Amino acid sequence: MVQQLFWLLKKEFTLEWRQKYSLGGIFLYVGSTIFIIYTSFIKIQPNIWNILFWIIALFTSVNAVAKSFVQESGYRQLYYYQTVNPVLLLLAKMIYNTILLLLINVLSFSLLSIVAGNPVKDYGLFSVAILLGSIGFSFAFTFVSSIASKANNSATLMAILSFPIVIPIIMTLVKIAASALRLLQDTSVWKDIAILFGINLILGTLAIILFPYIWKE
Amino acid sequence: MRKLILSTIILISCITNVFCQAPNADFLHSIGKIYVVVAVIAASFIGIILYLVSLDKKLTKLENQIKK
Amino acid sequence: MKLAWWKILSVFIILYVIIVGLLVPLKQGITAVTPSSLNAGTSVDLKIIGYNTKFNSDSKIRVWLKQDDEHALESNKIAVSNETEITASFSIPHDLPFDTKVKDFTLVVDNAIEGTTVLPNAIYITKNDTIKGDFVNAKIENLTKANAITFPFRNILAETIRNTYFHVPLWFAMFALFFTALINSVKFLRTNDLQYEYKAAGYTYTGLIFGILGLITGAIWAKHTWGAYWSWDVKQNMAAISVLIYLAYFVLKNSFEDREKAARLSGVYNIFAFMAMIPLLFVIPRMTDSLHPGNGGNPALGSQDLDKTMRMVFYPAVIGFILLGFWLSEIKFRYEILKAKVLEDLE
Repeated sequence: MVQQLFWLLKKEFTLEWRQKYSLGGIFLYVGSTIFIIYTSFIKIQPNIWNILFWIIALFTSVNAVAKSFVQESGYRQLYYYQTVNPVLLLLAKMIYNTILLLLINVLSFSLLSIVAGNPVKDYGLFSVAILLGSIGFSFAFTFVSSIASKANNSATLMAILSFPIVIPIIMTLVKIAASALRLLQDTSVWKDIAILFGINLILGTLAIILFPYIWKE
Repeated sequence: MRKLILSTIILISCITNVFCQAPNADFLHSIGKIYVVVAVIAASFIGIILYLVSLDKKLTKLENQIKK
Repeated sequence: MKLAWWKILSVFIILYVIIVGLLVPLKQGITAVTPSSLNAGTSVDLKIIGYNTKFNSDSKIRVWLKQDDEHALESNKIAVSNETEITASFSIPHDLPFDTKVKDFTLVVDNAIEGTTVLPNAIYITKNDTIKGDFVNAKIENLTKANAITFPFRNILAETIRNTYFHVPLWFAMFALFFTALINSVKFLRTNDLQYEYKAAGYTYTGLIFGILGLITGAIWAKHTWGAYWSWDVKQNMAAISVLIYLAYFVLKNSFEDREKAARLSGVYNIFAFMAMIPLLFVIPRMTDSLHPGNGGNPALGSQDLDKTMRMVFYPAVIGFILLGFWLSEIKFRYEILKAKVLEDLE
C-alpha cells in the first residue's frame, strides 16, 4: 500500500515535470500578482502586508490545485479507476499538492519580502502558519476540485464551493501570522494553532472518507 | 429558487427602508422600540409566506403538467 | 394534508410564543439620569427618567447612589413629577470612601410596590478632599421584591429584547435543519436511495430560507440597537458565510444534468460543508470580540443573557421554529418527490 502511494506520488511529480509550462504558469501568476501589488501600493503597513500575503496565498493555491483533477484525461481516469485504491489516489494528490503549495507560498513570501519588505519577527511561528495553511488549503481544494471536475464550468464552481469553506482557515491563519508579525500580543496563539490543526484534521479525514463516493462516478 | 430569494430580500429591504426613513425612525423607536419587534416578526413571517407562495406556484405548474 | 401531531404542536407553540412574548411586560427600568457627573460637596437634584414605571402610584420611593456593597448615599428628598419622572435630591459629602479621583456610582431606585431598579455606572462623582469625615453611610435595606412576571429591562435593547424569541430561534432552526439534511445525505450515500437525497435537499432549502430570514431580522434588530444594519460583527459575518456555503450547494446541485450524479456529489459536498460550518459558527466567534452576547470566551445564553421568565418563552420558541422548519421542508421534499415521479411517468 505504501508502495502504491509512493508510485502515485512519483507519477504526480513526473507528470508535473513533463508539463513544466503549467508549473511555470503558476509561478508567473505569483510573480505578476506581487508585481501588481508592488505597483499599486508604495508602502505596505505590516497589518496590510499580512492580509495581502494570505490573499495571494489563497488565490495562487486555488489556481495551483484546481487543475489536479481536471487535467487528467478520461482514459487515464478509467485506468486509475480499475487499478488504484481511490483513497491512496486522493492521499497522493493531497501530499503532492501540500508540497506544491508549500513551495508556492515560500516563493510568494520571498518575492513579497523582496518587493514590499519583510515585517516578520517570529520566523518559527510564521513557518508553522505557512505549513498549516498549505496543508489546509491543499486538503480543502484537492477535495473540492475532485467534485468540481465533474461539472462543466469547473473553474467557477471551484471558487464558489471552496472559498466559503476555507474562510475559517484564512481567519485563523491571519491571526497566527499577526502574532508572528508582533501585531498583537496574543498569549493564546497555541490555541489558534490547535484550532487550525483540528480544522485540517477534520477536512482531511472527511475528504478521505467521502472521496470513494465521488470516485464511483 | 433564485427568484424567491431575490424577491424576499428586495421586499423586506423595501419594508425596512420605508420603516427606517428619517421621520419614521422616531416612530420605530417609540414605546421602547416595540415596532422593531413588530418589524422583525413581520419580516420572518413575510419570508415564510413568500416561501409558501412559491411552493404553491410550483405545485400549480405541476398540476397543469399532469392535466396535459 | 398529512396531519401529524407535531405540526399542530408547532402552531400552538408559535402562537404561545407570539402571545406571551409580546404581552408580558418589561420590568421597569431607568433610561436616563441627568446630570451624570457630579462634584463632591455639592447639593444636586438628579432627574431620573424611568421606563414602564409608576412613580406616581402613592408608593414609597427611595433612591440611593451605591459605591460598592458597603458604601452608599441616600437621597434626602424625592419629588415625583409624573409616572416616569422623579427628581431625587442628594447632598454629596466632601469626603467619599474611595481612593481614585473619579468613581462611578450605581443608581438604585426602590419602589414599595413595583420593586427595585438598578442602573449601573449611572453617575460619576469627582472627589473634593477639602473637608474630611462628613460621609454618612446609608444602608441599602428592605428592598422590595417584585412578584410580577416580567422580562428584564436592558437600556439600549428596551422592548427589542423580545426579538430573542423570533430572531435567535431562526438560527437554531437553521442549524437543526442543516443537521437533518446532513443525516439524510449520509443515509443517501449509504443506501443510494434517491428519496433521502430529496429529503436532504428539502431540509437544506428550508434551512437556507431560515438563515436568510435570520440575517434579515438580525440586520433590522442591529440597525436599531447597534446603529447599523451591518456592523461587521463576527457572528454576522460567519452567518453570512454559512448561507454562502449552502447557496453554493444549490449551485452545485443544478450544474449537473444527471440527477443521480448531482445527488451523489451534492450529498458529499453537504457533509463536507456542514463540517466546515461548525468551526465557522461555534469556534471562531468565541475567539474574537463580538457585539453578540455569549462571545469573547463567554458561554452563550448564560444566566446574564436569559433570565428565568425569558427561558420559559425562548426554549418553546426554539422548538416551535424547528418544528415549523420541519413542516416546511416536508412540504418541499414531498413536492420534489412527486415532481420527479410525474416527470418520470410523462417520459
